[in-house]
Order: sequence, then C-alpha cells, then structure tokens
Amino acid sequence: MKITGSTSLVKRVLLLAFALVVLFGLWYAFRPEKLFINKRVDEAAPILSKGQPTPLFTGRFQRELHKTTGRGTVYQRPDGTRYLQLTDFSTSNAPALHVLLVNSKDIGANKDFAPTGKSSIDLGELKNTQGDQDYTIGSAVDLSQFNTVAIYSAGSNSNFGMAKLESF
Amino acid sequence: MRFARLIGLAVAITFVAPGLAIAQSGAIVETGTFHGVVHKTIGRATIYASSNGRVLRLTHFTTSNGPNLHVLLIAANDAQDDENFLTKKIERVDLGPLKGNEGDQNYTIPAGTDLSKYKAVSIFCEHFNANFGTAPLER
Repeated sequence: MKITGSTSLVKRVLLLAFALVVLFGLWYAFRPEKLFINKRVDEAAPILSKGQPTPLFTGRFQRELHKTTGRGTVYQRPDGTRYLQLTDFSTSNAPALHVLLVNSKDIGANKDFAPTGKSSIDLGELKNTQGDQDYTIGSAVDLSQFNTVAIYSAGSNSNFGMAKLESF
Repeated sequence: MRFARLIGLAVAITFVAPGLAIAQSGAIVETGTFHGVVHKTIGRATIYASSNGRVLRLTHFTTSNGPNLHVLLIAANDAQDDENFLTKKIERVDLGPLKGNEGDQNYTIPAGTDLSKYKAVSIFCEHFNANFGTAPLER
C-alpha cells in the first residue's frame, strides 16, 4: 500500500512538473499579457537639433486631367514660417498654371473646378513643370482645412493633378 | 597667388562645407504609411538622411503588442500577408526589436543598405513568423 501510494505521489509530482513546463511554454509562445499591456515610447526626431525645417505634411501627386507625379511636402522653419516643397515633380506644360491649396472635400466630385477666394489659397504661379521647387505658405493658412495641393490651370479651369497632404 | 588660393580653399571648407552637410542632413529619403496585415497597424514610416547615416522614424505609430516583434526592411514593394515571409523567404534587413507598440521611435539603418532593393518596412513577429503591418516606402 505504501509503495503504490508513493508511486502515485511521484506520478502526480511529475505530472505537475510537466504541466508547469507546458504552461510556461505556452505563456512564452503566446505572451497573452501583451494583449493588455501597451508599451509606449516617445523618441525625439533625429534631425531637429540643427535648426532644420521640420516636415509637417506630405503627399504624392496623382494625375487628374494630366499626368502629374512627385511629392508635395510642407515644412516649418525654426522661425515658424512654413513652405511647400515639390520634389521629383513633373506635370504638363500649360499657360497660367498655379499651385493651390484646397480642401479635399471641394474637389472630390468633379475634376474641373473654379476655385473661389474662400475655398482655395493661391501659392502663386507654378515656377517650373519639372523638378524641385518651394512655395511660401502664409502664416494664417489652416492646413487642416486646406489639406490638398492642386496644380490648377487658370487658362482651362482644370485640375492637372493633386496631392492629399498627410501628417508626418 | 598660391597663398590666396589656399585661403580661399580654407574659407570654403570652413564656411561652405558645414552648410552643405547641414543642408543634406534631415532630408527625407522616403516615406510611407502603415497598413495592418495580421494586426491593425497604423502610422507613418519615414527614412531621413542624417549626418550619422540614415534613420527610419516611425510617427503616429500604433500596432498590437506581441512577443518578439522586430522592425524589418524587406526586399519587396509591399506585403499583403504573412505568407510572403513563410514561402518566398523575402530578403530582409533587421533593424532590431520594436522599441514600443505605440509612439514615435527611431531606428538606425546599417550603412550600405540598398534602399532601391528594400522598399518596405515590416513589423514582424519572429515567434509566429507573422507580419503585423507593412509600410511601402516611396520617394
């Protein structure tokens, strides 16, 4: 009787040890507590130390009426002034092309649009149909409202291409 | 005459060269936004050129927490599912363990990494060989 009792005890201990190993293995594999525990970090941008302009928004151009490619990025200088930079930019040539800031809602429906003073901000004539170029953005412009760059032909009242700006 | 040239060169090195270095530092090389694959993953991945080499920075970033998550650059334009990793054995550059599943964070990219080859960032769970989310990078 004593012997069988001790073997069952040994069995139980072995079973318990085995179960613990399995449980540890399952925990290690799935780490279920991580479903509930978030780890938040907040590292500084690697480039802000030297008085560099900070990128705020960016977006890639998509064609509307004419093939338009490249990227539009809004930067903020250390003194607070902002500018739009076009990079790898290319569009069709046409007279009186302007760079506009518009609200994406206003140009979703139709590709041709006549921007009025309130619904768009004119950053000036397009300097070049190819290549990198900068445009100053006025300090009063609300970029959460005017969140899309449009290459607008005043001559034909059409939108050549646009870039929706997204936050960095 | 030679002396004047030397002075000119010295002036150029002293004043112009640091300016050039600063102008190049902080330039955006590529950027893209995350889409969740196995788990919901959002945010932006941007590669900056800095004076100490290139840095991958994640902003507005959120993914699921998980065991043994790593940040990878993968030799693909994009990844839709984790099968890419299991079957095709996509080449990858491991930038290290994910520092946090939320928030802004920076990762150094090894010198010599060919970014024309490694065109997407992946948040990858080494334990389950699962791709939590991918950000295709574009100029």
